[in-house]
Amino acid sequence: MSYIDILKEAEDQVTPGMSACQGCGGELILRTVLKIAGKNTIVGIPPGCMAGAGVVGWNYANGLKIPVHIPLLDNTASFLTGLSQMYERKGRGEVNMIGIAGDGATADCGFQSLSAAAERNEKMLYVCYDNEGYMNTGYQRSSTTTKGSRTSTTPIGAVINGKQQQQKYLPLIMSMHGLTYCATASPSHMADFVKKVEKGLAASKKGFAYLHVFSPCPTGWAYSPEKAIEVARNAVRSNMFPLWEMDEDGYHMNVRNKTPISVKEFIQGIGKFKNLTEEDINSIQQIADQRFHILMRLAEQGME
Amino acid sequence: MGKIKVLTGNYSAAEAAALCHPDLIAAYPITPQSSVVEYLAGLVHDGVIDANLVQVESEHSAMSVVQGAAAGGGRVFTATSAQGLALMYEPYFRMSTLRFPMVMALATREMTSPETVWSGQQDAMSVREAGWIQMFCDSNQEIVDMIIQSYMLAEHPEVLLPVNVCYDGFYSSHLTEGVDLPLQEEVDRFLPPPSFHHAVLDPDHPFALDPLTPGPILMKYRKSHLDAMEKALEVIDEVDKKFGDTFGRYYGGAVSQYRTEDADVVIVTIGGMTGTGMDAVDQAREEGIKAGLLKLRFTRPFPAEKIRDALKDKKAFAVIDRSVSFGWSQGPMHMEVKAALADADSRYCHFSAIGGLGGADISIEMMMETIRNLDAHKNEPGERETQWYMVD
Amino acid sequence: MEKRLHITPIGDEGMYILDTASWRVYRPVMDKEKCIDCGMCLAFCPVNAVAAVGKKFEITYDYCKGCGICANECKKGAIAMVLEGGSR
Repeated sequence: MSYIDILKEAEDQVTPGMSACQGCGGELILRTVLKIAGKNTIVGIPPGCMAGAGVVGWNYANGLKIPVHIPLLDNTASFLTGLSQMYERKGRGEVNMIGIAGDGATADCGFQSLSAAAERNEKMLYVCYDNEGYMNTGYQRSSTTTKGSRTSTTPIGAVINGKQQQQKYLPLIMSMHGLTYCATASPSHMADFVKKVEKGLAASKKGFAYLHVFSPCPTGWAYSPEKAIEVARNAVRSNMFPLWEMDEDGYHMNVRNKTPISVKEFIQGIGKFKNLTEEDINSIQQIADQRFHILMRLAEQGME
Repeated sequence: MGKIKVLTGNYSAAEAAALCHPDLIAAYPITPQSSVVEYLAGLVHDGVIDANLVQVESEHSAMSVVQGAAAGGGRVFTATSAQGLALMYEPYFRMSTLRFPMVMALATREMTSPETVWSGQQDAMSVREAGWIQMFCDSNQEIVDMIIQSYMLAEHPEVLLPVNVCYDGFYSSHLTEGVDLPLQEEVDRFLPPPSFHHAVLDPDHPFALDPLTPGPILMKYRKSHLDAMEKALEVIDEVDKKFGDTFGRYYGGAVSQYRTEDADVVIVTIGGMTGTGMDAVDQAREEGIKAGLLKLRFTRPFPAEKIRDALKDKKAFAVIDRSVSFGWSQGPMHMEVKAALADADSRYCHFSAIGGLGGADISIEMMMETIRNLDAHKNEPGERETQWYMVD
Repeated sequence: MEKRLHITPIGDEGMYILDTASWRVYRPVMDKEKCIDCGMCLAFCPVNAVAAVGKKFEITYDYCKGCGICANECKKGAIAMVLEGGSR
C-alpha cells in the first residue's frame, strides 16, 4: 500500500477545525501520526502549539476523536509510563500510547522525564514536533533553536544578533538511551515519515520509540505559509535536518543528498535568519557538516 | 488478630501498602523515606506482591507515573519527604484536582535551608492547600492501619481524593515498634478492589481528560472538590468505625482525646509528639494541673467542629506545631485551631507553641512548661505570645 | 441529560470545532484537467481539507484555512489560489 493510499484511507482523528496557524507543520504532523495510529490510541499532548490550538478540548468538549490528556509541560513521558504499564497490566497492551510534544516539552523542561522513560524503555511512541522554539507563547528560544535565529527572547539587537548558542541535537542524544526505535522525519518526505510512524508504533509495543519531526513554523520563522513544505524539504536537502533512523540493526541514513544545497540557500526567505552575517552562515554550515559527518559515520558503521 | 512484627515506621508503611494490592508503585529515594521504596522493591523482586514497580528519576516523575496509572484505573502508591515533596508539587497538586484517589506515605522532614535532613512537619504543612487529604500518625501501628483505611477513604465514591499518611521522619520512620500486622485475607475482606471509573482514559469511551476550562466552569470543579473534603469528614468516621469493628482498633476519627473530660487546659498535638504529650499530661495531673490532650489526626479536611466540641468549656489551650507559618510568627495549626474557634480571643487563653523543627527534640519538660503557662493564665482570656521550644 | 457532577474535568460532550474556513483570504481552486491524481495535495494539507473520491482528489472548503501549501506543492501547477469574494 502506498503512503498516499494509507493517508487517504485512514480516518482523521483530529477536530476538523483547530486554531493552529495557516500552514502549520505541527497540525500536519499531528493529523498524520494519529491517522496512522487509528482509534485504538490514547494520546498525551502537553502544553504547546497543538494543545493551545484546541485539540485537548475546551469546556466539556474533546478536540480529538480519541482519548487525550494534556499532561504537564514536563511530564508527558512519565504520565504515559504509568498509563502504558497499567494498560499492559490490564491485558490491553495493544492500545497505542502516544505522546506528541513540542521541542520545549521534549528537549528542555520535559527532557528529564523523557530521558528516564527512554532509559527504562517504556512502551510508547513519543513524537516531538520540533518547530525550534516556544511558538505557542510567542516564539521564544528553546535549546533546539538554530544558532543565529531571531526569536522573541533572542532578538536582533544593536550588540547581540539572535541566538548565540548552537542547537542541541536531541535525536542523537535520544538514540543513546538504549531505546527500541529512534528516527528523524520531515513532513516534506511524507513516504519516509509515514513508514517511520508505522515502524515507531510497532516498536512501541516492545519498548520506547522516539520520533523527532521537523515542524516548519511560518509564524515563528517568518516566511509565508505556502512555503512550509518547501522549507522542510530544504532543511533535509541542506543536511540541516538529516533523515535517519536507529533500529535493532543500528543507524541508517534514509535520505542521502548527492548534491546538498548550502545553508545559505536553506535560509533564503526565512525571516528569522535575515540578519545573519556571512560569518554566522559559515558557522551554521560548519555545525551542519560536522553533524552530518558524525551521522554518516554511524550509519556506515552499521553497514559493516 | 494479625501477625505481630517488629517494624520501623517506614517498613510499616510499606507492609501496609503491600497488603492493599497496589497495581503500580513509583518512588524515588529520599531521606528519611528511602526504606519504604527499598522494602517495596524487595517485595516486588521476591514475587511477594504483584505490583508494577517503576524506578523513576525524580519525585516529579514518581507522582506523574502514578498519575498516569491512576488515569488507567489503577491503585497506586508512592512515598516521599521534604525536598522530594517540593519537587513533586506540580503533579501533586494535579493529582488532587484531577480527583484521582491514591495513598502516599510522607515521612515528614524539615525543609531546607538551613541544610537539614531531620524531622519536622514543614513539608506537609507547606502543601496543605494542595487539595489532598492529610493525616498524621503517632505510632507504627497507626501507620499500618491508616494506610489501609486511607485507600477506602480515598476511593469512596463521594470523596475521590488522594490521601497523605504523614508520620515524623526518623522518630517514626526509623524507630521500631511491635505492630499487629493484619493478615492478607482480613485486609481483602475489609478493602474491596479499586472501582473508580470517573476519569479512566479508554479508547472504547473517548474523552478529553482536562480540557481547557474557563473560570466559571473551573469554579464548579473547585466547589465539588471542597464538598468532597466536607464529605470526607463523615467518611473518616465511617471508615474508622468499620476498621475498628473489623480489627478491634478505633482511632476516634479526625481527632482523638486524652484525659480531656475534666481538663481546664489542653495541649493540641500533631503526629509523633503525641506520646510525649500524653506523658506530660500525666505528669501535670500528678502536679495537680487539670491537663488534657487533643490529637489532631486530620489536618485536611480540617475538623473544626470536632475541635470546637473538644475545647468547649476548656479555659486554655496551646497548639504545638512542628512547623512555622512565616509571617504569622506562630505555628500553622495554632492559626487554624483558633480560626475554628471563631470567638477564641474572647473566651480562651491560648497560644501557639512551636518546636521540634529540623529534628530538634520536643521534651516532656517543654510541654510541661506549656501546660503550666496555660494553667497560670487560664482565667485570662486572649491570645498569648508564641512559645518557642528552643534547645540551647 | 444527567446533571454533571464536576468531579474530574472531562470533555465528553461532542467535539470542539473552530470555523477555520472564515480565516481564508485565498481559496485553492483545482484545475481537474491538469490534475494527475498524485495525491500530494492530500498528503501535505495540514487541515485534511483534501478528500479522496475514488481515485480522484477534491479540495473541500469547510475548514480550509487557505494556507496555499497545496498550490505551492502541486507539481503540475493544477491548483491556483484565488481571492475570496471575487478578484482584485
